Amino acid sequence: MSLRDCVDFAFNALKGQPIRVSLCVTGIAIGIMAIVVLTALGEGARRYVVNQFMSIGSNLLLVVPGKTETTGAIPGFAGAPHDLTIMDSQAIRRNIRSIQRLAPISMGTETVRYGERRRQVPIVGTTADFLEIRHLRMARGQFLPRGDPQRGAPLVVLGHRVAQELFPDTSPLGQLIRVGNWRMRVIGILAPRGTQLSMDMDDLVLVPVATGMQLLNRHSLYRILLGVRNVSDLETTCGRIVALLTERHGEDDTTCITQGSVVGTFSSILNALTVSLAAIGFISLTVAGIGIMNVMFVAVADRTEEIGLLKALGARSRQILLLFLIEAVILSLAGGMIGLTLGWTIVQGLTTLYPAIPASTPLWASVSAVLVSFAVGVVFGLLPAHRAGRLDPVHALERHAS
Amino acid sequence: MTGELIIDGFMTGAQVIKLKNVSKIYQVGDQPVYALANITEHIKPGEYVAIMGPSGSGKSTLLNVLGCLLRPTEGSYQLNGQEINTLNDSELSKLRQSVIGFIFQSFHLIPRLTAAGNVELPMIFAGIAPQVRQQRVTQALEAVGLTARSHHRPDQLSVGQRQRVVIARATVMNPRLILADEPTGNLDSESGKQILGLLDQLYALGHTLIIVTHDINVAHRAERVLVISDGHIVQRTSSCNLTPESL
Repeated sequence: MSLRDCVDFAFNALKGQPIRVSLCVTGIAIGIMAIVVLTALGEGARRYVVNQFMSIGSNLLLVVPGKTETTGAIPGFAGAPHDLTIMDSQAIRRNIRSIQRLAPISMGTETVRYGERRRQVPIVGTTADFLEIRHLRMARGQFLPRGDPQRGAPLVVLGHRVAQELFPDTSPLGQLIRVGNWRMRVIGILAPRGTQLSMDMDDLVLVPVATGMQLLNRHSLYRILLGVRNVSDLETTCGRIVALLTERHGEDDTTCITQGSVVGTFSSILNALTVSLAAIGFISLTVAGIGIMNVMFVAVADRTEEIGLLKALGARSRQILLLFLIEAVILSLAGGMIGLTLGWTIVQGLTTLYPAIPASTPLWASVSAVLVSFAVGVVFGLLPAHRAGRLDPVHALERHAS
Repeated sequence: MTGELIIDGFMTGAQVIKLKNVSKIYQVGDQPVYALANITEHIKPGEYVAIMGPSGSGKSTLLNVLGCLLRPTEGSYQLNGQEINTLNDSELSKLRQSVIGFIFQSFHLIPRLTAAGNVELPMIFAGIAPQVRQQRVTQALEAVGLTARSHHRPDQLSVGQRQRVVIARATVMNPRLILADEPTGNLDSESGKQILGLLDQLYALGHTLIIVTHDINVAHRAERVLVISDGHIVQRTSSCNLTPESL
């Protein structure tokens, strides 16, 4: 019996029970669709985060106070980080030539006021390089001036939304506003940028770093952002920075993180999320597989006479098993193909509706969805098919007669 | 009826069927129940044998043993020179496929298939090429006078036509042995006559024909009659000597 005969016979048998077949196929299709859509969303989230990082450049380093490694020191006696200071950032700038841009950052939240209008916003103290490191553009005016970062100045650059909220009718440039208790002059407004690395760049106020530390009463920088000339120098630059700061602080109490390692960490977390979402899809596929098994058991029971007849006509047990197995595989593959098509269509719709999230089903998910739907047919079809193959022809024919 | 039933490779002289002390025993609780007991019988090629007996006497069991659907519990059964007990399930299937044709009282046609599709079935499992299958289906349906009905499903055929499809299916592999279980049991007298006429043709063409029947008129068409009671062959007679009183 050729494979084509088997497939023809199985198709013919399935055509005879359209309701059962369509319910069964729907179950598998939903399972596969769930895998396709859920993994696409997971992958979309991963790509979104990675894109966010990559949009600000791949040559970035981040220096933060404190060590991420576990130390053996007794807390309070050693291991407590020294402050990360503006002088540290100047030392890095002076001593490490591979650094192209450097922006020390202090951060906090404060109320800004203009006349009767007030708004609680994040305050970022930084230097002129911040504009280029974070790929920001000015809408109007100028950014923070270059100069000695240790010297503060009562100057502010407003995020786009802050400017709109505080100055709905007038131009903010040159106006004096209050940041906390400080009176400061608006020198520029950022162009709209939206959220960047979970920070809303439209809803913040930028001040010189020294001013920011005084204003926010901070002794330590929040972090130092650095741009390296060559991406290939990232790791060695990181090592040099840590060595320099260890020498300055007398102990190794800072951490240098490359952009790649941050991206890698996020990427692996979101990959795990994608796999978890796929697992949820696979659970629904398993349920659908049990549906196939049920349908096939019912088919074997319904077609007992047919099985007895086929055996009487010379069909071997293996041929009968193969026939029923192929029926189960046809059901599951049909469900798989429909699920895949539906899933892709939904993902396409989602990317059209929400272009910011680059949802896309990973190839592995599509391929494994088809393979798994095939496997579901084989695994869940095997037991009923085996039962069909083992039926005794006399009993099968007699059961019908009785 | 049009066309002609064809048989080839027919072996003369040797016995098609040799049963020696064949018993079929079922275990009911602790008690063995003999469906067939010590049956010894030889049937020659081209013989037409009728098996008669009351309900539950073992006629169908004997037919199932002869058709290799059941294995004897005891004794020896040689079909076409092969000892059945030495064959595995797959070899038995192959033997059924090539040597035996079944005609059932309740037809056992697959309802979703057309007449042609039902007739084609044994050839599909024998791995015969589609073109050859097509040719043989046409011949077999022509032989039973159903060419015009080849694309009809069983529910679109009369009971007589259905039984003719069954005969076409039973003969399409050109088997040496044809086993018929009450082939006219579900038919009106006119259809019954047509079916018996077809069976006569098969006999005339040299097929070995074994038919289980309650009907003495049907048995009269056979050469020999075996009467079974309680699993034993209680009478062997020529159909000419068969009278209602002798049963």
